Amino acid sequence: MNFEFLFANIGDLTVTGLSQGAIYALIALGYTLVYGLLKLINFAHSEVFMMGTFGALFAWQLVGLHENNPIPSVPMMIVYLLVGLVGAAVWSGVTALAVEFVAYRPLRRRNAPRLVFLITAIGASLAISEAVGIATGRQQFGMPDLFKTTTLVTIGDAHITNLDLGVIVAAIVMMVVLDQFINRTRLGRGIRAVAQDSDTAALMGINKNRVIVLTFVLGGVMAGAAALLYNLKIGVTRADIGFLLGIKAFTAAVLGGIGNLRGALLGGLALGLVENYGSALFGTSWRDVVAFAVLVIILMFRPTGLLGESLGKARA
Amino acid sequence: MLLELQDLVVSYGRIEALHGISLGIEQGEIVALIGANGAGKTTTMRAISGLRAAHRGKIFLEGRDITRMRADRRVVQGISQAPEGRGIFPGMTVMENLDLGCYTRRDAAMIAEDRERVFTLFPRLAERRKQLGGTMSGGEQQMLTIGRALMARPKILLLDEPSMGLAPMLIQQIFAIIKEINGQGTTVLLVEQNAQQALSLAHRAYVLETGSIVRSGTGEELLADPAVQEAYLGVA
Repeated sequence: MNFEFLFANIGDLTVTGLSQGAIYALIALGYTLVYGLLKLINFAHSEVFMMGTFGALFAWQLVGLHENNPIPSVPMMIVYLLVGLVGAAVWSGVTALAVEFVAYRPLRRRNAPRLVFLITAIGASLAISEAVGIATGRQQFGMPDLFKTTTLVTIGDAHITNLDLGVIVAAIVMMVVLDQFINRTRLGRGIRAVAQDSDTAALMGINKNRVIVLTFVLGGVMAGAAALLYNLKIGVTRADIGFLLGIKAFTAAVLGGIGNLRGALLGGLALGLVENYGSALFGTSWRDVVAFAVLVIILMFRPTGLLGESLGKARA
Repeated sequence: MLLELQDLVVSYGRIEALHGISLGIEQGEIVALIGANGAGKTTTMRAISGLRAAHRGKIFLEGRDITRMRADRRVVQGISQAPEGRGIFPGMTVMENLDLGCYTRRDAAMIAEDRERVFTLFPRLAERRKQLGGTMSGGEQQMLTIGRALMARPKILLLDEPSMGLAPMLIQQIFAIIKEINGQGTTVLLVEQNAQQALSLAHRAYVLETGSIVRSGTGEELLADPAVQEAYLGVA
Protein backbone atom coordinates (compact mmCIF):
# COMPACT_ATOMS: atom_id res chain seq x y z
CA MET A 1 0.00 0.00 0.00
CA ASN A 2 1.43 3.25 -1.16
CA PHE A 3 0.51 5.69 1.58
CA GLU A 4 3.30 8.01 0.60
CA PHE A 5 1.82 8.50 -2.85
CA LEU A 6 -1.68 8.96 -1.41
CA PHE A 7 -0.61 11.67 1.03
CA ALA A 8 1.69 13.39 -1.42
CA ASN A 9 -1.21 13.79 -3.86
CA ILE A 10 -4.19 13.96 -1.55
CA GLY A 11 -5.24 17.41 -2.78
CA ASP A 12 -5.26 16.55 -6.46
CA LEU A 13 -6.89 13.19 -5.77
CA THR A 14 -9.64 14.97 -3.87
CA VAL A 15 -10.32 17.42 -6.69
CA THR A 16 -10.43 14.68 -9.34
CA GLY A 17 -12.51 12.47 -7.08
CA LEU A 18 -15.07 15.19 -6.51
CA SER A 19 -15.43 16.04 -10.17
CA GLN A 20 -15.77 12.38 -11.14
CA GLY A 21 -18.18 11.89 -8.27
CA ALA A 22 -20.26 14.85 -9.42
CA ILE A 23 -20.84 13.10 -12.74
CA TYR A 24 -21.77 9.86 -10.96
CA ALA A 25 -24.16 11.83 -8.80
CA LEU A 26 -25.99 13.41 -11.74
CA ILE A 27 -26.52 9.99 -13.30
CA ALA A 28 -27.46 8.51 -9.92
CA LEU A 29 -30.39 10.93 -9.72
CA GLY A 30 -32.08 9.10 -12.59
CA TYR A 31 -31.83 5.77 -10.81
CA THR A 32 -33.03 7.22 -7.57
CA LEU A 33 -36.00 9.16 -9.02
CA VAL A 34 -37.38 6.18 -10.91
CA TYR A 35 -36.77 3.86 -7.99
CA GLY A 36 -38.51 6.22 -5.58
CA LEU A 37 -41.55 6.29 -7.82
CA LEU A 38 -41.82 2.78 -9.25
CA LYS A 39 -39.53 0.70 -7.01
CA LEU A 40 -37.79 -0.22 -10.25
CA ILE A 41 -34.05 -0.26 -10.93
CA ASN A 42 -34.00 1.22 -14.41
CA PHE A 43 -30.85 -0.41 -15.75
CA ALA A 44 -31.48 1.22 -19.12
CA HIS A 45 -30.55 4.53 -17.50
CA SER A 46 -26.87 3.85 -18.24
CA GLU A 47 -27.73 4.04 -21.95
CA VAL A 48 -29.77 7.18 -21.41
CA PHE A 49 -26.49 8.71 -20.27
CA MET A 50 -24.52 7.22 -23.16
CA MET A 51 -27.00 8.62 -25.68
CA GLY A 52 -26.49 12.02 -24.11
CA THR A 53 -22.77 11.98 -24.91
CA PHE A 54 -23.65 11.41 -28.56
CA GLY A 55 -26.43 13.98 -28.39
CA ALA A 56 -23.96 16.68 -27.44
CA LEU A 57 -21.55 15.55 -30.14
CA PHE A 58 -24.23 15.64 -32.85
CA ALA A 59 -25.45 19.04 -31.72
CA TRP A 60 -21.91 20.40 -32.00
CA GLN A 61 -21.42 18.86 -35.44
CA LEU A 62 -24.72 20.37 -36.49
CA VAL A 63 -23.49 23.88 -35.69
CA GLY A 64 -20.16 23.16 -37.37
CA LEU A 65 -18.00 22.48 -34.34
CA HIS A 66 -15.69 19.55 -34.98
CA GLU A 67 -13.00 17.67 -33.09
CA ASN A 68 -10.04 19.56 -34.47
CA ASN A 69 -11.52 23.05 -34.55
CA PRO A 70 -9.48 25.70 -32.78
CA ILE A 71 -10.54 26.71 -29.29
CA PRO A 72 -13.43 29.22 -29.63
CA SER A 73 -13.70 32.64 -28.05
CA VAL A 74 -15.36 32.90 -24.64
CA PRO A 75 -18.80 34.04 -25.91
CA MET A 76 -18.77 31.28 -28.53
CA MET A 77 -17.69 28.78 -25.90
CA ILE A 78 -20.77 29.63 -23.83
CA VAL A 79 -22.96 29.22 -26.89
CA TYR A 80 -21.37 25.86 -27.64
CA LEU A 81 -21.79 24.71 -24.05
CA LEU A 82 -25.49 25.54 -24.22
CA VAL A 83 -25.82 23.85 -27.61
CA GLY A 84 -24.13 20.75 -26.19
CA LEU A 85 -26.34 20.79 -23.11
CA VAL A 86 -29.51 21.05 -25.18
CA GLY A 87 -28.35 18.28 -27.53
CA ALA A 88 -27.42 15.97 -24.68
CA ALA A 89 -30.55 16.67 -22.63
CA VAL A 90 -32.84 16.16 -25.62
CA TRP A 91 -31.23 12.88 -26.68
CA SER A 92 -31.12 11.57 -23.15
CA GLY A 93 -34.66 12.70 -22.42
CA VAL A 94 -36.00 11.14 -25.61
CA THR A 95 -34.18 7.89 -24.85
CA ALA A 96 -35.58 7.80 -21.33
CA LEU A 97 -39.08 8.41 -22.67
CA ALA A 98 -38.68 5.76 -25.35
CA VAL A 99 -37.74 3.21 -22.71
CA GLU A 100 -40.76 4.17 -20.61
CA PHE A 101 -43.22 4.03 -23.51
CA VAL A 102 -41.84 1.00 -25.33
CA ALA A 103 -40.69 -1.14 -22.43
CA TYR A 104 -42.24 -0.25 -19.08
CA ARG A 105 -45.68 1.15 -19.74
CA PRO A 106 -46.97 -1.94 -21.58
CA LEU A 107 -45.75 -4.04 -18.65
CA ARG A 108 -47.49 -1.82 -16.10
CA ARG A 109 -50.73 -2.10 -18.06
CA ARG A 110 -50.46 -5.87 -17.75
CA ASN A 111 -49.54 -5.73 -14.06
CA ALA A 112 -46.33 -7.61 -14.74
CA PRO A 113 -44.38 -8.96 -11.76
CA ARG A 114 -41.35 -6.98 -10.65
CA LEU A 115 -38.82 -9.48 -11.96
CA VAL A 116 -40.15 -8.99 -15.48
CA PHE A 117 -39.46 -5.25 -15.22
CA LEU A 118 -35.92 -5.95 -14.12
CA ILE A 119 -35.22 -8.30 -17.01
CA THR A 120 -36.82 -5.84 -19.41
CA ALA A 121 -34.59 -3.08 -18.04
CA ILE A 122 -31.46 -5.13 -18.65
CA GLY A 123 -32.73 -6.10 -22.09
CA ALA A 124 -33.46 -2.49 -23.01
CA SER A 125 -29.99 -1.49 -21.85
CA LEU A 126 -28.27 -4.12 -23.99
CA ALA A 127 -30.49 -3.38 -26.98
CA ILE A 128 -29.73 0.35 -26.95
CA SER A 129 -26.02 -0.03 -26.39
CA GLU A 130 -25.69 -2.67 -29.12
CA ALA A 131 -27.82 -0.70 -31.58
CA VAL A 132 -25.64 2.38 -31.08
CA GLY A 133 -22.56 0.15 -31.31
CA ILE A 134 -23.62 -1.11 -34.71
CA ALA A 135 -24.69 2.31 -35.94
CA THR A 136 -21.37 3.89 -34.96
CA GLY A 137 -19.15 0.97 -36.00
CA ARG A 138 -18.01 0.72 -32.35
CA GLN A 139 -15.64 3.58 -32.96
CA GLN A 140 -14.38 6.08 -30.50
CA PHE A 141 -15.44 9.68 -31.13
CA GLY A 142 -13.32 12.61 -30.01
CA MET A 143 -14.84 15.80 -28.67
CA PRO A 144 -13.92 19.33 -29.75
CA ASP A 145 -11.98 21.41 -27.22
CA LEU A 146 -14.16 24.21 -25.94
CA PHE A 147 -11.56 25.74 -23.66
CA LYS A 148 -8.02 25.23 -22.54
CA THR A 149 -7.76 23.43 -19.23
CA THR A 150 -5.80 25.58 -16.82
CA THR A 151 -5.19 25.59 -13.11
CA LEU A 152 -7.29 28.31 -11.53
CA VAL A 153 -6.19 28.06 -7.92
CA THR A 154 -3.70 26.03 -5.96
CA ILE A 155 -4.67 25.20 -2.39
CA GLY A 156 -1.80 23.45 -0.67
CA ASP A 157 -0.85 20.82 -3.22
CA ALA A 158 -4.31 20.73 -4.82
CA HIS A 159 -4.46 22.15 -8.33
CA ILE A 160 -8.03 23.14 -9.04
CA THR A 161 -8.55 23.40 -12.78
CA ASN A 162 -11.28 25.37 -14.49
CA LEU A 163 -12.61 22.04 -15.83
CA ASP A 164 -12.91 20.28 -12.47
CA LEU A 165 -14.34 23.34 -10.79
CA GLY A 166 -16.84 23.81 -13.62
CA VAL A 167 -17.93 20.18 -13.47
CA ILE A 168 -18.43 20.24 -9.71
CA VAL A 169 -20.25 23.58 -9.69
CA ALA A 170 -22.46 22.67 -12.65
CA ALA A 171 -23.44 19.34 -11.12
CA ILE A 172 -24.28 20.91 -7.77
CA VAL A 173 -26.32 23.67 -9.41
CA MET A 174 -28.31 21.12 -11.41
CA MET A 175 -29.00 19.15 -8.26
CA VAL A 176 -30.11 22.15 -6.25
CA VAL A 177 -32.50 23.11 -9.05
CA LEU A 178 -33.90 19.57 -9.14
CA ASP A 179 -34.21 19.43 -5.36
CA GLN A 180 -36.11 22.71 -5.31
CA PHE A 181 -38.33 21.55 -8.14
CA ILE A 182 -39.24 18.35 -6.29
CA ASN A 183 -39.76 20.00 -2.93
CA ARG A 184 -41.22 23.39 -3.82
CA THR A 185 -43.35 23.16 -6.93
CA ARG A 186 -46.79 21.76 -7.62
CA LEU A 187 -45.49 19.17 -10.11
CA GLY A 188 -42.76 18.14 -7.66
CA ARG A 189 -45.42 17.71 -5.01
CA GLY A 190 -47.26 15.44 -7.44
CA ILE A 191 -44.16 13.29 -7.89
CA ARG A 192 -43.71 12.97 -4.14
CA ALA A 193 -47.38 12.14 -3.67
CA VAL A 194 -47.26 9.29 -6.21
CA ALA A 195 -44.02 8.02 -4.63
CA GLN A 196 -45.57 7.98 -1.16
CA ASP A 197 -48.97 6.52 -2.00
CA SER A 198 -50.08 6.22 -5.60
CA ASP A 199 -53.74 5.34 -4.83
CA THR A 200 -54.24 8.36 -2.63
CA ALA A 201 -52.40 10.45 -5.23
CA ALA A 202 -55.04 9.40 -7.78
CA LEU A 203 -57.72 10.59 -5.33
CA MET A 204 -56.04 14.01 -5.46
CA GLY A 205 -56.59 14.04 -9.23
CA ILE A 206 -52.97 13.27 -10.03
CA ASN A 207 -52.46 11.38 -13.29
CA LYS A 208 -49.90 8.73 -12.38
CA ASN A 209 -48.72 8.13 -15.92
CA ARG A 210 -48.09 11.81 -16.47
CA VAL A 211 -46.03 11.93 -13.26
CA ILE A 212 -44.03 8.91 -14.42
CA VAL A 213 -43.32 10.56 -17.78
CA LEU A 214 -42.19 13.74 -16.02
CA THR A 215 -39.89 11.70 -13.78
CA PHE A 216 -38.27 9.91 -16.71
CA VAL A 217 -37.76 13.27 -18.42
CA LEU A 218 -36.15 14.75 -15.29
CA GLY A 219 -33.84 11.76 -14.91
CA GLY A 220 -33.01 11.98 -18.61
CA VAL A 221 -32.18 15.69 -18.48
CA MET A 222 -29.90 15.13 -15.48
CA ALA A 223 -28.17 12.26 -17.32
CA GLY A 224 -27.84 14.59 -20.31
CA ALA A 225 -26.10 17.17 -18.15
CA ALA A 226 -23.82 14.44 -16.84
CA ALA A 227 -23.09 13.42 -20.44
CA LEU A 228 -22.04 16.94 -21.37
CA LEU A 229 -19.72 17.15 -18.37
CA TYR A 230 -18.32 13.72 -19.20
CA ASN A 231 -17.59 14.85 -22.77
CA LEU A 232 -15.73 17.90 -21.49
CA LYS A 233 -13.77 15.95 -18.91
CA ILE A 234 -12.99 12.70 -20.74
CA GLY A 235 -12.97 14.07 -24.28
CA VAL A 236 -14.13 10.88 -26.06
CA THR A 237 -17.19 8.67 -26.16
CA ARG A 238 -18.11 5.20 -27.39
CA ALA A 239 -21.29 3.13 -27.56
CA ASP A 240 -20.25 0.98 -24.60
CA ILE A 241 -19.35 3.66 -22.05
CA GLY A 242 -22.76 3.42 -20.40
CA PHE A 243 -22.20 0.11 -18.69
CA LEU A 244 -19.45 0.96 -16.22
CA LEU A 245 -20.62 4.53 -15.62
CA GLY A 246 -24.14 3.23 -15.08
CA ILE A 247 -23.02 0.63 -12.57
CA LYS A 248 -20.96 3.25 -10.74
CA ALA A 249 -23.85 5.71 -10.66
CA PHE A 250 -26.20 2.98 -9.45
CA THR A 251 -23.66 2.18 -6.74
CA ALA A 252 -23.59 5.86 -5.81
CA ALA A 253 -27.39 5.89 -5.55
CA VAL A 254 -27.39 2.83 -3.30
CA LEU A 255 -24.50 4.18 -1.26
CA GLY A 256 -26.36 7.42 -0.54
CA GLY A 257 -29.70 5.68 0.01
CA ILE A 258 -31.68 4.85 -3.11
CA GLY A 259 -34.79 6.92 -3.51
CA ASN A 260 -33.14 9.86 -1.78
CA LEU A 261 -32.09 12.80 -3.98
CA ARG A 262 -29.56 14.24 -1.57
CA GLY A 263 -28.28 10.73 -1.00
CA ALA A 264 -27.43 10.55 -4.70
CA LEU A 265 -25.22 13.64 -4.39
CA LEU A 266 -23.52 12.39 -1.25
CA GLY A 267 -23.13 8.86 -2.64
CA GLY A 268 -21.69 10.11 -5.92
CA LEU A 269 -19.12 12.39 -4.32
CA ALA A 270 -18.17 9.73 -1.76
CA LEU A 271 -17.73 7.12 -4.46
CA GLY A 272 -15.57 9.45 -6.56
CA LEU A 273 -13.30 10.17 -3.59
CA VAL A 274 -13.03 6.55 -2.46
CA GLU A 275 -12.16 5.42 -5.97
CA ASN A 276 -9.39 7.95 -6.36
CA TYR A 277 -7.92 7.43 -2.92
CA GLY A 278 -8.19 3.66 -3.42
CA SER A 279 -6.42 3.64 -6.75
CA ALA A 280 -3.62 5.79 -5.31
CA LEU A 281 -3.27 3.42 -2.41
CA PHE A 282 -3.50 0.06 -4.18
CA GLY A 283 -2.75 0.93 -7.82
CA THR A 284 -5.06 1.97 -10.62
CA SER A 285 -6.14 -1.55 -11.50
CA TRP A 286 -7.70 -1.88 -8.04
CA ARG A 287 -9.87 1.18 -8.51
CA ASP A 288 -13.21 -0.61 -9.12
CA VAL A 289 -12.45 -3.29 -6.54
CA VAL A 290 -12.01 -0.63 -3.88
CA ALA A 291 -15.19 1.16 -4.93
CA PHE A 292 -17.37 -1.93 -4.65
CA ALA A 293 -15.67 -3.19 -1.49
CA VAL A 294 -16.54 0.10 0.18
CA LEU A 295 -20.12 -0.24 -1.01
CA VAL A 296 -20.41 -3.69 0.55
CA ILE A 297 -18.88 -2.54 3.83
CA ILE A 298 -21.13 0.51 4.13
CA LEU A 299 -24.24 -1.49 3.30
CA MET A 300 -23.32 -4.00 6.01
CA PHE A 301 -23.56 -1.25 8.60
CA ARG A 302 -26.19 0.93 6.95
CA PRO A 303 -28.34 -1.32 4.76
CA THR A 304 -30.44 1.62 3.52
CA GLY A 305 -27.40 3.66 2.52
CA LEU A 306 -25.83 6.77 4.03
CA LEU A 307 -28.96 8.92 4.18
CA GLY A 308 -31.46 6.09 4.10
CA GLU A 309 -34.96 7.40 3.64
CA SER A 310 -36.83 7.06 0.37
CA LEU A 311 -38.01 9.79 -1.98
CA GLY A 312 -41.43 9.01 -0.61
CA LYS A 313 -40.56 10.25 2.83
CA ALA A 314 -37.79 12.71 2.03
CA ARG A 315 -38.45 16.27 3.09
CA ALA A 316 -36.73 19.56 2.54
CA MET B 1 -79.85 12.23 -9.14
CA LEU B 2 -76.32 13.45 -8.41
CA LEU B 3 -74.70 10.03 -8.13
CA GLU B 4 -76.22 6.73 -9.13
CA LEU B 5 -74.96 3.14 -9.07
CA GLN B 6 -76.78 0.63 -11.22
CA ASP B 7 -76.33 -3.09 -10.59
CA LEU B 8 -72.65 -2.61 -9.77
CA VAL B 9 -70.48 -5.73 -9.61
CA VAL B 10 -66.88 -5.57 -8.40
CA SER B 11 -64.58 -8.57 -8.14
CA TYR B 12 -61.18 -9.28 -6.68
CA GLY B 13 -59.87 -11.96 -8.99
CA ARG B 14 -62.57 -14.64 -8.94
CA ILE B 15 -64.12 -13.47 -5.72
CA GLU B 16 -67.08 -11.19 -6.22
CA ALA B 17 -67.09 -8.49 -3.54
CA LEU B 18 -70.20 -6.60 -4.68
CA HIS B 19 -73.04 -8.62 -6.21
CA GLY B 20 -74.83 -5.96 -8.19
CA ILE B 21 -75.70 -3.05 -5.92
CA SER B 22 -77.86 -0.10 -6.91
CA LEU B 23 -78.16 3.14 -5.01
CA GLY B 24 -78.74 6.81 -5.61
CA ILE B 25 -77.80 10.06 -3.94
CA GLU B 26 -79.66 13.32 -4.49
CA GLN B 27 -78.04 16.73 -4.53
CA GLY B 28 -77.68 18.08 -0.97
CA GLU B 29 -78.22 14.80 0.86
CA ILE B 30 -76.18 12.96 3.45
CA VAL B 31 -76.45 9.29 2.60
CA ALA B 32 -74.95 6.62 4.85
CA LEU B 33 -73.80 3.17 3.88
CA ILE B 34 -73.59 0.94 6.93
CA GLY B 35 -72.55 -2.66 7.36
CA ALA B 36 -70.16 -4.98 9.14
CA ASN B 37 -66.50 -5.50 8.38
CA GLY B 38 -66.03 -7.07 4.96
CA ALA B 39 -69.55 -6.22 3.76
CA GLY B 40 -68.12 -4.31 0.81
CA LYS B 41 -68.41 -0.71 2.03
CA THR B 42 -64.86 0.31 1.18
CA THR B 43 -65.04 -1.58 -2.12
CA THR B 44 -68.13 0.48 -2.99
CA MET B 45 -66.24 3.68 -2.19
CA ARG B 46 -63.23 2.64 -4.25
CA ALA B 47 -65.49 1.78 -7.18
CA ILE B 48 -67.11 5.22 -7.01
CA SER B 49 -63.80 7.07 -6.82
CA GLY B 50 -62.35 4.86 -9.56
CA LEU B 51 -59.62 3.03 -7.65
CA ARG B 52 -61.44 -0.25 -8.35
CA ALA B 53 -62.77 -1.09 -11.79
CA ALA B 54 -66.40 -2.13 -12.08
CA HIS B 55 -66.82 -5.64 -13.38
CA ARG B 56 -70.38 -5.00 -14.48
CA GLY B 57 -72.99 -2.33 -13.97
CA LYS B 58 -72.78 1.43 -14.28
CA ILE B 59 -71.91 4.54 -12.32
CA PHE B 60 -73.51 7.87 -13.24
CA LEU B 61 -72.54 11.33 -12.05
CA GLU B 62 -75.22 13.91 -12.87
CA GLY B 63 -76.59 11.48 -15.44
CA ARG B 64 -73.23 11.02 -17.20
CA ASP B 65 -71.74 7.55 -17.38
CA ILE B 66 -68.37 7.61 -15.58
CA THR B 67 -67.96 3.84 -15.18
CA ARG B 68 -64.79 3.71 -17.27
CA MET B 69 -63.35 7.07 -16.26
CA ARG B 70 -59.92 7.10 -14.56
CA ALA B 71 -59.80 7.99 -10.87
CA ASP B 72 -57.89 11.24 -11.37
CA ARG B 73 -60.43 12.45 -13.98
CA ARG B 74 -63.29 11.78 -11.58
CA VAL B 75 -61.77 14.25 -9.13
CA VAL B 76 -62.03 16.96 -11.78
CA GLN B 77 -65.66 15.94 -12.39
CA GLY B 78 -66.47 16.53 -8.71
CA ILE B 79 -65.94 13.32 -6.76
CA SER B 80 -63.59 13.66 -3.81
CA GLN B 81 -62.78 10.91 -1.35
CA ALA B 82 -61.34 10.97 2.14
CA PRO B 83 -60.05 7.40 2.13
CA GLU B 84 -60.22 4.78 4.86
CA GLY B 85 -57.18 4.85 7.11
CA ARG B 86 -56.97 8.55 6.19
CA GLY B 87 -54.29 8.33 3.50
CA ILE B 88 -52.33 11.30 4.75
CA PHE B 89 -48.98 11.82 3.00
CA PRO B 90 -46.80 11.31 6.08
CA GLY B 91 -43.71 13.16 4.85
CA MET B 92 -45.61 16.27 3.83
CA THR B 93 -46.81 19.16 5.93
CA VAL B 94 -50.44 20.01 6.60
CA MET B 95 -50.21 22.77 3.98
CA GLU B 96 -48.69 20.45 1.38
CA ASN B 97 -51.39 17.87 2.02
CA LEU B 98 -54.07 20.53 1.59
CA ASP B 99 -52.38 21.83 -1.56
CA LEU B 100 -52.52 18.33 -3.02
CA GLY B 101 -56.25 18.38 -2.43
CA CYS B 102 -56.57 21.16 -5.03
CA TYR B 103 -53.89 19.75 -7.35
CA THR B 104 -56.17 19.93 -10.39
CA ARG B 105 -57.39 23.49 -9.74
CA ARG B 106 -55.85 26.73 -10.98
CA ASP B 107 -58.33 29.30 -9.65
CA ALA B 108 -56.03 30.84 -7.02
CA ALA B 109 -58.64 33.16 -5.52
CA MET B 110 -61.20 30.40 -5.00
CA ILE B 111 -58.52 28.09 -3.63
CA ALA B 112 -57.58 30.68 -1.02
CA GLU B 113 -61.25 30.98 -0.12
CA ASP B 114 -61.59 27.20 0.26
CA ARG B 115 -58.46 27.06 2.37
CA GLU B 116 -59.96 29.65 4.71
CA ARG B 117 -63.15 27.60 4.85
CA VAL B 118 -61.19 24.46 5.80
CA PHE B 119 -59.26 26.38 8.46
CA THR B 120 -62.56 27.71 9.86
CA LEU B 121 -64.01 24.20 10.00
CA PHE B 122 -60.80 22.78 11.50
CA PRO B 123 -58.96 25.51 13.44
CA ARG B 124 -56.51 22.85 14.60
CA LEU B 125 -55.20 22.51 11.04
CA ALA B 126 -54.54 26.24 10.86
CA GLU B 127 -52.39 25.99 14.00
CA ARG B 128 -50.44 23.06 12.55
CA ARG B 129 -49.76 24.25 9.00
CA LYS B 130 -46.09 23.33 9.09
CA GLN B 131 -46.40 20.03 10.92
CA LEU B 132 -45.71 16.78 9.05
CA GLY B 133 -48.85 14.75 8.42
CA GLY B 134 -47.29 11.57 9.76
CA THR B 135 -46.63 13.11 13.18
CA MET B 136 -50.22 14.15 13.88
CA SER B 137 -52.74 12.37 16.11
CA GLY B 138 -55.48 10.18 14.67
CA GLY B 139 -58.13 12.86 15.11
CA GLU B 140 -55.98 15.53 13.49
CA GLN B 141 -55.24 13.24 10.56
CA GLN B 142 -58.96 12.66 10.13
CA MET B 143 -59.54 16.41 10.07
CA LEU B 144 -56.74 16.76 7.54
CA THR B 145 -58.10 14.08 5.24
CA ILE B 146 -61.58 15.64 5.25
CA GLY B 147 -60.15 19.13 4.81
CA ARG B 148 -57.96 17.94 1.96
CA ALA B 149 -60.93 16.30 0.23
CA LEU B 150 -62.84 19.59 0.52
CA MET B 151 -60.00 21.45 -1.19
CA ALA B 152 -61.09 19.82 -4.44
CA ARG B 153 -64.42 21.70 -4.04
CA PRO B 154 -66.32 18.48 -4.72
CA LYS B 155 -69.92 18.03 -5.77
CA ILE B 156 -69.95 14.90 -3.67
CA LEU B 157 -67.72 14.12 -0.72
CA LEU B 158 -67.02 10.45 0.01
CA LEU B 159 -66.10 9.77 3.63
CA ASP B 160 -64.81 6.30 4.43
CA GLU B 161 -65.05 5.46 8.15
CA PRO B 162 -64.37 8.93 9.55
CA SER B 163 -64.97 7.67 13.09
CA MET B 164 -62.46 4.83 12.88
CA GLY B 165 -60.10 4.69 15.83
CA LEU B 166 -61.28 7.97 17.36
CA ALA B 167 -62.40 8.70 20.93
CA PRO B 168 -66.18 9.25 21.40
CA MET B 169 -65.75 12.99 22.03
CA LEU B 170 -63.83 13.38 18.80
CA ILE B 171 -66.38 11.32 16.88
CA GLN B 172 -69.12 13.72 18.04
CA GLN B 173 -67.02 16.63 16.86
CA ILE B 174 -66.26 15.11 13.45
CA PHE B 175 -69.92 14.26 12.85
CA ALA B 176 -70.97 17.79 13.78
CA ILE B 177 -68.49 19.10 11.22
CA ILE B 178 -69.81 16.71 8.55
CA LYS B 179 -73.26 18.13 9.20
CA GLU B 180 -71.89 21.65 8.84
CA ILE B 181 -70.15 20.78 5.56
CA ASN B 182 -73.42 19.38 4.24
CA GLY B 183 -75.23 22.51 5.45
CA GLN B 184 -72.86 24.56 3.28
CA GLY B 185 -74.15 22.66 0.25
CA THR B 186 -71.84 19.67 -0.23
CA THR B 187 -73.49 16.30 -0.82
CA VAL B 188 -72.02 13.57 1.39
CA LEU B 189 -71.79 9.80 1.07
CA LEU B 190 -70.70 8.35 4.38
CA VAL B 191 -69.48 4.82 4.97
CA GLU B 192 -69.57 3.81 8.62
CA GLN B 193 -69.40 0.90 11.01
CA ASN B 194 -70.67 3.22 13.72
CA ALA B 195 -74.28 2.77 12.66
CA GLN B 196 -75.84 4.73 15.53
CA GLN B 197 -73.97 7.92 14.67
CA ALA B 198 -74.27 7.47 10.94
CA LEU B 199 -78.03 6.85 10.95
CA SER B 200 -78.66 9.78 13.28
CA LEU B 201 -76.84 12.09 10.90
CA ALA B 202 -77.93 10.77 7.51
CA HIS B 203 -81.04 11.74 5.60
CA ARG B 204 -81.14 8.29 4.04
CA ALA B 205 -79.13 5.10 4.44
CA TYR B 206 -78.42 1.74 2.90
CA VAL B 207 -77.47 -1.44 4.74
CA LEU B 208 -74.82 -3.54 3.04
CA GLU B 209 -74.42 -7.24 3.91
CA THR B 210 -71.81 -9.46 2.20
CA GLY B 211 -71.86 -7.49 -1.01
CA SER B 212 -75.59 -6.83 -1.36
CA ILE B 213 -77.88 -4.05 -0.21
CA VAL B 214 -80.41 -5.63 2.12
CA ARG B 215 -82.27 -2.58 3.43
CA SER B 216 -82.70 1.07 2.74
CA GLY B 217 -84.72 3.95 4.12
CA THR B 218 -84.45 7.23 5.96
CA GLY B 219 -82.10 7.39 8.91
CA GLU B 220 -85.00 7.38 11.38
CA GLU B 221 -86.70 4.41 9.72
CA LEU B 222 -83.57 2.31 9.92
CA LEU B 223 -82.86 3.39 13.50
CA ALA B 224 -86.34 2.10 14.39
CA ASP B 225 -86.04 -1.10 12.35
CA PRO B 226 -85.79 -4.11 14.72
CA ALA B 227 -83.52 -6.09 12.38
CA VAL B 228 -81.13 -3.16 12.05
CA GLN B 229 -81.25 -2.56 15.79
CA GLU B 230 -80.32 -6.15 16.49
CA ALA B 231 -77.55 -6.43 13.94
CA TYR B 232 -75.95 -2.98 14.07
CA LEU B 233 -77.12 -1.04 17.09
CA GLY B 234 -76.49 -3.62 19.80
CA VAL B 235 -80.18 -3.64 20.88
CA ALA B 236 -81.34 -7.12 21.82
